[in-house]
Amino acid sequence: MRDRETDEKAVPPLLKIEGISKSFGGIQALYDVSFEVFPETIHAIIGPNGAGKTTLFNIITGVSAPDAGAIRYGPRNIVGKQVHELVAQGIARTFQNVELFGSMSAMENVLVGRHVRTACGFVGAMGRWSWVRTEEEEARQKAMDLLRFVGLDSVAHTRSSDLPFGWQRFLEIARALATEPRVLLLDEPASGLNAVETQRLGELLQEIRGRGVTLLLVEHDMSLTMGVSDRILVLHQGKRLAEGTPREIQEDDAVICAYLGKGI
Amino acid sequence: MPGPFTVSEVSDGIEMLIRNLLFAAAILLLGVGVKNPYHLELLTFIGIHTLLALGLNMLMGYAGQISLGHAAFYGLGAYATGILTVHWHWSPWISLPATLALAAAVALLVALPMLRLSGFYLGMGTLGFGMIGFILFRGWSSVTGGDSGLVGIPSLAVGPFTFSSGVRYFYLVWGTVFVSFILCERIVRSRVGRALRAIHDSEKAAAAMGIDTSRLKISVFVLSALFAALAGFLYAHLVSFVSPSSFDFLVSVRIVTMVVIGGMASIWGSLLGASLLTVLPDWLHVFSDYEMLVYGLVLMVVMIFLPQGLTRGILDLYERSRNRREGRSPSA
Amino acid sequence: MQEFLQYVFSGVTNGAVYAVIALGFSMLYRATGLINFAQGELVMLGALCLISLWQGLGLSLVLSIVLSVGIVSGVGIALERLAMRQVRKPHPIVLVIITVGASIFFRGIAMILWGKDARSAGPFSSNVPLEIAGATLLPQSLWVLAIMLGIVAALHLFYRKTLTGKAMEACAINKKAAWLLGVPSDRMVLLAFALSAGMGAVGGVLIAPITMSSYDMGTLLGLKGFCAAMLGGLGSSWGSVLGGLLLGILEALGVGFFSSALKDAIAFMLLLFILYVRPTGILGARAVHRF
Repeated sequence: MRDRETDEKAVPPLLKIEGISKSFGGIQALYDVSFEVFPETIHAIIGPNGAGKTTLFNIITGVSAPDAGAIRYGPRNIVGKQVHELVAQGIARTFQNVELFGSMSAMENVLVGRHVRTACGFVGAMGRWSWVRTEEEEARQKAMDLLRFVGLDSVAHTRSSDLPFGWQRFLEIARALATEPRVLLLDEPASGLNAVETQRLGELLQEIRGRGVTLLLVEHDMSLTMGVSDRILVLHQGKRLAEGTPREIQEDDAVICAYLGKGI
Repeated sequence: MPGPFTVSEVSDGIEMLIRNLLFAAAILLLGVGVKNPYHLELLTFIGIHTLLALGLNMLMGYAGQISLGHAAFYGLGAYATGILTVHWHWSPWISLPATLALAAAVALLVALPMLRLSGFYLGMGTLGFGMIGFILFRGWSSVTGGDSGLVGIPSLAVGPFTFSSGVRYFYLVWGTVFVSFILCERIVRSRVGRALRAIHDSEKAAAAMGIDTSRLKISVFVLSALFAALAGFLYAHLVSFVSPSSFDFLVSVRIVTMVVIGGMASIWGSLLGASLLTVLPDWLHVFSDYEMLVYGLVLMVVMIFLPQGLTRGILDLYERSRNRREGRSPSA
Repeated sequence: MQEFLQYVFSGVTNGAVYAVIALGFSMLYRATGLINFAQGELVMLGALCLISLWQGLGLSLVLSIVLSVGIVSGVGIALERLAMRQVRKPHPIVLVIITVGASIFFRGIAMILWGKDARSAGPFSSNVPLEIAGATLLPQSLWVLAIMLGIVAALHLFYRKTLTGKAMEACAINKKAAWLLGVPSDRMVLLAFALSAGMGAVGGVLIAPITMSSYDMGTLLGLKGFCAAMLGGLGSSWGSVLGGLLLGILEALGVGFFSSALKDAIAFMLLLFILYVRPTGILGARAVHRF
């Protein structure tokens, strides 16, 4: 685990979450949550169930709108932007319950990820001009590379719903990477994975960071989280409880009291 | 290490080519071989219905949306060209683009607000739209001829060559179907086609992959309307007479049934569904009383037991029985 | 003014029938999140059953009504058990097509049983029109209004006072939680289908003396009932009443002041308008939003 504290102070944050609040009916899911995510880091969000983690993800990716607060991606506030617009701007995500395109093969799933970086429409599809064919060829090359990256090239043409669950998780990551994101949000990527797969996931996350992608993940698996994260945000009952490096979090009294006290 | 296109995909491409060649050959042979004018006309109608089913299939099968009022676009195509050629004396070849443009405009108008809705609301909305179409066809008698319909629609002609005889129109219609099949196959295998199927499988994930789902749903709705209008155009110039009863709610249901039976998300399924539902009512004319009962039953039974439609369903059953015979456990 | 009132009277009568049909839609939606495209056909079956039992077989009015409602409720139960329940993957398209298939099936059966002719039923009580402010009101209209209000009151009591009703509400809001608490959601869905089918039948019974009934009256009525339900807010009982009456009055005014060809078109245009502009309806739809 690299210590990036000194680097971070010189580099401006990629994502700035400012005072986000959200309530559903009578329940305050998030209250005045603020933190910064720095480029090329792995930033984890942990907290007990119901702490508001997925809600926060949904707000960042444009699925829901906050009641108050802003999210700065670069210079702009992205609150209110539509989901698909944000993808074009470099924010991608995976889902808690794997949301693959079940009827399509692994390759086709990843190819859908290339959608936002390609342009062929109805007319182009029908005409199959040379630029369309080139674009398709390149997309397939990139998709294959990504499948190889996550170790799924052998099942490229298998129907995604037929794949074992752990592989589906990795496929979802490959698909999200195909959008060429600057920030990748992973919603409980280790959930349902066995020890070997979790280990592989940890390595993969670090490789992804090495490629220049910033990772924001919600996780319950503590050993994975502590092992790969550069910074961790602890949410408790919708509020920010603590934020810092893994070591700082592990030593934080409030965190120990509220969450980690159960033992890692 | 093989490239992105594996052996199976290249063979897929060859398979497609062979299928298309066989299709073309079948069309050519049938046109020459079938002498009975009644049979020829029936086959021609199958072609027109295939276009209807194909368009709706793109919407229902691939994009996962629903339209219970597609007869309105069919009728729009027929009436538009009928009115332009009969009342305004336009040449059919000019009325064709005008008809298609009108259908696209109406489809856009209908789809823009309606595709925000989903599932049931969309079903009801399109049902309502279909009804409005029917009421217009009947009610606007000054323009459409009301219940008596529109007569005297001219045949299509290119110079001295008229498409009036059975064989010529047969080739015209099936030529159109052939080209449409190729275009749709291209769409399905492309970026757009994948995006449509993505929307069908998981609209949430599709949006998360940067797909503008609203825009795409609207586009495919317009595409399906264009196919229906084209079918209407061909229908009008074939029978030279259109009346509202050809475009009522039951016709919309029939088109849906063709798609459901043939198989949603199956281009060839459109052909199967259209064939079955054009030929059977013709043969079972005696049972026209039972037609609705049969349609209703078919829709329910197929949707419950074979939601993939007959094409896929039969293929699946065949695969499963073959696996069992060879002692293989089913995949996954 | 007298003319206007006359239109309002006739509009309210039709509107009350639309309201009852709308209540059927609303209740099913509220309990299951589903919309039954065959609802209109259930209304048609109710009407034709009443005519056959009452005028055809000569049974008493009350018995005919009870039997009609019972038979059609049975049809609703059959629909749920034999069709809806069998579906493995409840994609909205699948459910829509199944209920559409059911509606066509019912139509087909009705055509075989009753033929293509239109039939009529006599009024429940007398045919002597009442004079109110210069406009005439048939006693039948009062029956319609009274029964509509009766149903609304019964529904209100059902949801608020009975355990079953509250259980159904619970299922509507959160199926899993309700199940955990011991509410048999399967049985609730069945009950919802039975009740909404019954309401459809009542709608048919009410409309039979007013217009001519035939095997193909269902589609239009179903759409109008749905329109009324959407207008008032899907899932809301008072919304259905409001929507139904509003639709009925607008229709009557449209026919009176414009043309009769417009009558059916009004409902559809209104439906499209609501779907476009305010899908939650005037009173706002309930929180249940499955599809």
